[in-house]
Amino acid sequence: MSAPLAFANSPRLETERLILRPPQASDAADEMAFLASDRAAGIGGPFHPMQAFRSVAGLIGHWGLRGYGFFALEEKTTGRYMGRVGPWFPEGWPEPEIGWSVVGEAEGKGYAYEAALASRAWAYDALGWITAISLVEATNDRSAGLARRMGCTQDGTWTHPLDGWVVDIWRHPAPEAAA
Amino acid sequence: MSAPPTYASAPRLQTERLSLRPPRAQDAGAYRDFYADGAASAFYGGPLPEHRAWMRLAADIGHWSLRGFGVFALVHRGETVGGCGLHHPQGWPSHELTWWLAPGARGAGLAREASEAVLGWARDALGWTAVETHMKDDNLPARRLAERLGFALHRRETFPDGVARDVLRRPLGAVGGASA
Repeated sequence: MSAPLAFANSPRLETERLILRPPQASDAADEMAFLASDRAAGIGGPFHPMQAFRSVAGLIGHWGLRGYGFFALEEKTTGRYMGRVGPWFPEGWPEPEIGWSVVGEAEGKGYAYEAALASRAWAYDALGWITAISLVEATNDRSAGLARRMGCTQDGTWTHPLDGWVVDIWRHPAPEAAA
Repeated sequence: MSAPPTYASAPRLQTERLSLRPPRAQDAGAYRDFYADGAASAFYGGPLPEHRAWMRLAADIGHWSLRGFGVFALVHRGETVGGCGLHHPQGWPSHELTWWLAPGARGAGLAREASEAVLGWARDALGWTAVETHMKDDNLPARRLAERLGFALHRRETFPDGVARDVLRRPLGAVGGASA
């Protein structure tokens, strides 16, 4: 039987302090709390609970449609949900992206950096991407700092066709340079 | 620990004319076309541009993982012609039996056929004793179909979007043909 969502053989990445795996039902409450908070301002939020539920469902469904998507970040020492980082390419997106957003308690620990490096390496190795971008709001200094730290360079802007949401495009180093 | 069934174990239902299976990537065109048609999708939040329709599809897929039930894609003669299933976003006061059909597939009783299969599945596989549905007051086709399926007015409720809707309920003593 062909499984519509191939979660049976879904990837599981390990970094020094984190486990990266596809999001699941047990992550929903934490991710929805994040989406409803002011911390979600950088990605178009904060969102109403129903919108947040749809967004979480969409995060999972992206895996079903693309075979990859945001990884949920699980802190090794506590098992707690720290946010989501990973390859993201919904319909209408300018190019495949490495996206990131972490919950408040993960901030300042370098988790997003750790997970984004692992996600980028996986996208290059396992998915065969030859380039990657990250989309960052111009006012999001912290996120832009992470892009710089990953070796990204600014490469224009992108305006979301519907919402008029304008973001900076940060281009990642190519696979050879990022290895 | 009882985890909800994952998408990989999601069911398939077969009716006389339809196969029902959870939605997947091949359904993107059907979602796109349906939501591009403002008249056809008016009661479903349409019209929607392609990228929004794609996220609807993604959310319908993820709903299965989050809830253990969801909306099936309806496949008729190898083509995806619509969807039917049980939907319950968090924050919404009730689950609902829901369905949608491409304009070319309407008028042939497919929504009823699919709905009866879903009701039987809700009873037999999910163990539900009743299913609810709701619709806006001006959605007369949905109201008529619900009543033909054995749904009756249960209550009136104001939903989080501020719109008051009739909530109809169908006990699941018997599905298809005989009434409960």
